[in-house]
This record gives sequence, structure tokens and C-alpha cells, in this order.
Amino acid sequence: MPKKTIKEMSASERRRHSLEAKTFHAVLMVSLLLGIVSLIMGLGLYAYSLGNQLIKDSFNLTASLKMVLDGSIDISGPCRRTVDIYHSLSEEEKAVQDEAYYERYSEIAQDPTVISAGRVLKDFYDNNNVGDIFIAMYDEETCTLLYIADPDEKRPYPTGTWEEVEERELRRFLSWDGKGTLYDLSYTAKYGWLCTTGVPIYSHDGNICAFVLADVSLTELFNGMRGFVTNYVIATAITVLLLGYLMKRHIKKNMVVPINEIAGAAEEYVRSKRDSGATTTNHFEGLKIDTGDEIENLYLTLSGMENDLNNYERDLTKAIKDKERIGTELNLAMRIQRDMLPTIFPPFPERPDFDIYATMIPAKEVGGDFYDYFLIDDDHLCLVMADVSGKGVPAALFMMASKILIKTTSMSISDPAKILERVNNQICNHNSQEMFVTVWLGIVELSTGKLTAANAGHEYPMIKKASGQYELIKDKHGFVMGGMENMKYTSYEIQLEPGSEVFVYTDGVTESTSEREELFGTGRLLEALNSKAFDTPKEVLDNVIRSANSFVGKAPQFDDITMLCFSFKGPNAWLEVEKAKTEAQREDKYMKELTLEATITNIPKVTDFVNEELETLGCPLKVQMQIDVAIDELFGNIAQYAYDPLTGPATVRVEVEDDPMAVIITFIDHGKPYDPLESEDPDTSLGAEERNIGGLGVFLVKKTMDDVTYEYKNGQNILRIRKNM
Amino acid sequence: MVVTKNLEDKLLNVKVEGRLDTATAPELEAELAEVLDKADELVFDLEGLEYMSSAGLRILLATQKKMGLKGGMKVTNVNDVIMEIFEITGFSDILTIE
Repeated sequence: MPKKTIKEMSASERRRHSLEAKTFHAVLMVSLLLGIVSLIMGLGLYAYSLGNQLIKDSFNLTASLKMVLDGSIDISGPCRRTVDIYHSLSEEEKAVQDEAYYERYSEIAQDPTVISAGRVLKDFYDNNNVGDIFIAMYDEETCTLLYIADPDEKRPYPTGTWEEVEERELRRFLSWDGKGTLYDLSYTAKYGWLCTTGVPIYSHDGNICAFVLADVSLTELFNGMRGFVTNYVIATAITVLLLGYLMKRHIKKNMVVPINEIAGAAEEYVRSKRDSGATTTNHFEGLKIDTGDEIENLYLTLSGMENDLNNYERDLTKAIKDKERIGTELNLAMRIQRDMLPTIFPPFPERPDFDIYATMIPAKEVGGDFYDYFLIDDDHLCLVMADVSGKGVPAALFMMASKILIKTTSMSISDPAKILERVNNQICNHNSQEMFVTVWLGIVELSTGKLTAANAGHEYPMIKKASGQYELIKDKHGFVMGGMENMKYTSYEIQLEPGSEVFVYTDGVTESTSEREELFGTGRLLEALNSKAFDTPKEVLDNVIRSANSFVGKAPQFDDITMLCFSFKGPNAWLEVEKAKTEAQREDKYMKELTLEATITNIPKVTDFVNEELETLGCPLKVQMQIDVAIDELFGNIAQYAYDPLTGPATVRVEVEDDPMAVIITFIDHGKPYDPLESEDPDTSLGAEERNIGGLGVFLVKKTMDDVTYEYKNGQNILRIRKNM
Repeated sequence: MVVTKNLEDKLLNVKVEGRLDTATAPELEAELAEVLDKADELVFDLEGLEYMSSAGLRILLATQKKMGLKGGMKVTNVNDVIMEIFEITGFSDILTIE
């Protein structure tokens, strides 16, 4: 069974195991041990000193008695005679100490010296606290003690009485050298412990004739000791219990209670941390422990620890929060970066004249690839493909800055080379990290298909021309952007035809690596692009991705794969749109519209269409001719210049106003923005040699019509002429 | 547009009928280019011309510049509409209109 901890114990078990109980027990044990030892030692000392005293007193008594006897009574005679009689008796005669036996010593007993000695003895006996005092002689032969005079009235030992003695006692007494105290301790069944002291009486010849002996009972001494022990034990027990109790109280007050308080505070601390996640606690600080010892030290340490932990936890919480916040913000930043890339396709659903699809397949780590496309105005579309050096957050930030710079600069500068030059300088000014970005930037004039592009160290673009095959355009590479200030870039122009496509990409595409460490390369890319005719830019990119994926196999993707495909449909793509609009407006009473491809050969169709309207209005022939001339001038201009070298649609609208009666003809085209009214009127006063042939048509229109207005709206040139009838 | 040319002894008569506009002007230009070098004098007969746009004016101006160095150029039978165009554009001062 595993040992229970104090926490798991019941209240009574806990009391038994508490420090108080242990202290109490320890005090009891120690006291008991001490008590026993001191008792034994005390008793020994008591017995020794008291016994010694008794013996000494008894001996002194015998010594003084002997001196008294020596000075007054010569008892040696009767002594010798007693011994003689004793010796003269047979064993049988000695065996029974009856009256007959004593009769043999009666003469000695009646001896006046014996009687007077007996009297002296009696005196001593009466005046001293001794068990017995008598004169007797040890008989070596029979090892007996032969009584000569014994005045004890209660227990008379008449002269001649013998009793057996221990040989040890006999030898000690008979061979005494006169030094120290002569005594012997013996246990008798009759009297218990007895101490016999004695002094020898010498006869005239110098031999011992008898001893003055005194018996002192030690029983009293032992009785006294018993009392002592009882008192001692009681006193000790009370003292021990009192001491134990006091110790227990002391321990409880100074140790158990503070320790329990500390333990309780620790429990509270843990509970508050676990249950409520409190960050600031003062469980230890709140305790009032003033024991001035190690426990107080423990309390102070724990209190300090709690404080430190609070601080630590606060710091840690803050650090964790900071880290979380940074993580969240980083993710957010990444998302913002990703969101910088336009991803809604088709991006310009209202535009039939082009289509774009772009994609970026990010590698594990955030890279700095980006693409962009945006309409600078209704006629100019900017395409950007770029690759920032490096990876991670720095690349992402650099990418954002580059993208924004390129876009904003493109809005105010129309030449791609100049855009790159400006952006390069701006990047170089704030490029402490020596990062760089490769950029291909192209601007398509949508009304004419003119692509103007410049390349800052980026991959060669792939362009599909009228031939129907993609070709690698080895354009002139400028230096990467951010590398060096004041770099010059060169713009180049490519005429796109309807059906042309532009494919730009980053090195992630061409450097896709197969399991055999082969690069996808531009060759395979071209192959994929020309594998068949695709309907939409999305199909083009999907096919490239498929090809690259099947080539790469299971090898990991190291770099972002970024691609953009621009498909140019040409301005004529507007024709159907405008025709549909015209169709929808045909119901209008006073508004007639004709939408057709703006070509010179289509001028008569327009003229016929307008004339038909004019005839129903009964328009004078001269006015009609003037209007016809105006149509020729204006529609001819659209046909020749608006989409040059391509063709596109034009809409001619005829409206009639009643008051005053007037015809309003509107020419609408999707060509490049051009305000014919802006050009200066020709100087009609010049002679034939100085005259230029330009500008005459519009001038004629201005002069023959009552009002001519121009506006560019929604990507359309809108020229309106008014002729009053 | 119908162009009728008649070259007689360095005098070139060119009759233009119909509409002289952006579409037809190149045709007239081509016709003139064939014979202009052979003529010293040129007469345009515009009787049958309905109207003329700036494309026609361009040709007249270019031809006037060439012929002005030689025997000159005349424009005859100009109708109202065309005359107005000449006047507006100052061509009435440049051309010899009869």
C-alpha cells in the first residue's frame, strides 16, 4: 500500500502525524529516557550515600561502644570461656539450642562483666537507632557467630547462642586490618537486608576475643527509596506532561500554524492560478508570520517568490501577447501582401477587347513575386510582372513598395522605360537592405494594339503574333531595379494584332525542377504554350501549370510560380457590343443609330444611313451635301486614325430636335483619345505654296455645321455635330 | 465617282463626277499621277461633282502646287456646295475658279 500523504489523511490521522504530536511524543520519549537515567543515578547516589552514612554511623557506634567497654569492663575472659564451652560441646549438643544448652553458659551469663557490658550495650541500643547491638565472636571452625552478650529484650540472644554466618563475613571480620570501616552486607530471610558493622575486642595477649557488633536494617533505607522513586516519578511525569504540552503549544503556535498557513496559501495560489488564471496574487504576502526564524524566512522567500512569479507571469503574458500579436499581424501582413495581387477574373468583364488571366502559386515560404495589371485610362492597360530578390517578410514588404511605386508612377508617366527609371531611382533612395526587383512592364494601347514595354532584368516575354505561335521576345534587358541609381531603360514597341497574346512569367516557371534536377526551361515553356490553340488566357496558364507539374513530378516547389497571360482581341471586339446597344435603341423615335466597322469603304453606308433620315425630314440638298461632307471628314478620320493600324467600330447616331429644327449627328468610337477640335484652324489666307493640307476637314466641318462638340467618355471619343434646318 | 481625262496638246481636261471624298480621293490621285507630268495646263470640270471633302481639297492643293510651276490650273463649273467649301477653306483665293 502506498504511503499516504498528509493531505490524504483524515483529521484524526493528521493530528497523530502532525508536528505537534511528534513534538509531544519526542518530548515524552526524551523525558522518559532522561527520567529513567536520572532516577537510576539518583537512586544509586541516594542508596550509596545514605547506606554509607548508615554504615559509618553504625561503625562509629560500635567503635565508641568498644572504647567505653575497653575503659570500664574487661570482657575478654567471659568471651574466651564462651568460645571454650562452645568448642567443648559435641555436635549433637550444639545442634539444638534449648534450655539445657544455654544452661552450660549460665555461669558466663551471670558474670558481672557480662551483665554490666550488657547494660552498656542496652544503653547504646536504647539511645541509638540500630537494629541490634551485641557482643559476639566468630568461630572459624564451624563458621558460626557465637553470641556473648545481647541486650535485645524483644529478641534475646542469650550467651552461647550461635548462628551460621557467611564465610565471607567471617573472613572479613576476622582478618580486618583496622583501617576503614568494617562492615558486611547480607540478606537474611528474617530481617531482609542487614548491614553488620563491628569492632574487634582484643584480649590481653593481643588476640581478638570478641567483636562489638551492630546490625542495621537497610529495609528502611529501601523503603525511603521507594518513596523517593514514587515522588520522583510523579514529579517527573507531571513535569514531562507539562513540558510536552507547552512544547506542543509552542510548536503549534510557532511552526504548525505558520506552516499550515503557508501550505494553505500555496494551495490557494495554485487554485487561483488553475481555476481563474489570476495573474496577480497576494496569497503569501497576506500572511502575518512573525516567528523570526526559518519559517519566517520561508514565508518571506515564498512571498518574494510569489511577487517574482507575478512579475514574471505579467512579463510572460505580455511577451506571449506580443508574440501572438506579432504572429497575427504577420499573417495579416502576408494576407495584405497576397491581396495586393488582383485575383478577380475576368478583371474587366465590361471590356470585350482584351482578356487577362494571372496566377501565383506560392512556394512554402512567402516570396516576392508579383504581377499586376490595371487600366491607366480607358485606352491604356498596364501589365507588370516582377520578381523581388529574397524571400519572407522583407521580400513581401519590398514587393508591396515596388508594386505601389510602379502603379502610381505608371499613372503619371506613359513611357515604360521612363516609368522604370523613375521607380528605380525611388527604390534606390530607400534601399538600405540592398534588395532588388526584376520587372517587365508593358503598356498596351488598346485602341491600336500598340504594346510599349521595357524590361528591368526580367525574363523574356513570350508573345503570340498573327502567326499564331508564341515566340520568345529577346527584348533589351535593363539592369534590375534597386541595384543602381540613374539606370537607363529602353522602351520597345510591338504591334499586337487581334488574337495576339502576351505571356509573362517569373523564373519560378522556367526554373521548376524535376526529380532528375532538370529545369523546365523556356523551351518546354514555349512548347506548352504552342501545344495547341487556347480559347482563353486561363486555359493557357492552366496548360502551362499542367505541363510544369507533370515535368516536376514529386519534386518540391522551391519558388513561387507566377504567370500572366494577356489576350488582345482588338478594338473590333467592341463592334458586337455596340451593335447590340444600337439594336436596343432602334425603338427610339427620334434617334437612329448605326454601328459598323470604321473603314473608308464603309463611309457610303454611313452617308446613306444619314441621308435616309435627312430625306424624311425634307432636308435641303445643300444642307445634306454639307452633312455628307462632314460625315466623310469625321468618319473618314475614325477609319484612318482612331485604331491605326487596326480597325474598330464606330457608331453614328442621328437625332432630330424640334425647336428649332435641327439634326444632331454623333460619332462614337473606341479609338485612342483624340479631340479634333483642339488642333488649330488652318490659316486660310495663305497662298497655295504655304498651305498645309492637314486640318482642313475638321475646319470645314466646324465652318459648315452650327455646333461641333467633343468629349471623351467611358473610353469613347464622342464627336457631336449639330446642323440647324 | 467617275473621272474622265482628256489630254490635248499639253492641256489636260479632267472631268470629275459624283462624290470626291475620302474613299474616292485616292482613285483620283492615281488617275492624275498617270498624266499630270505630261500636261502643262490643267482644267478641272466639276460640273457633275456633287460634293467634295477635304480629301478632294488635298488633291486640288497638291495638284495646284505642281501645276502652279507649269502652265497653271483652272477649276470650272463649281456648284454652290463646293464653292462654299472653297470659300470657307480659302481655296477660292488659291484656285483659279471660272
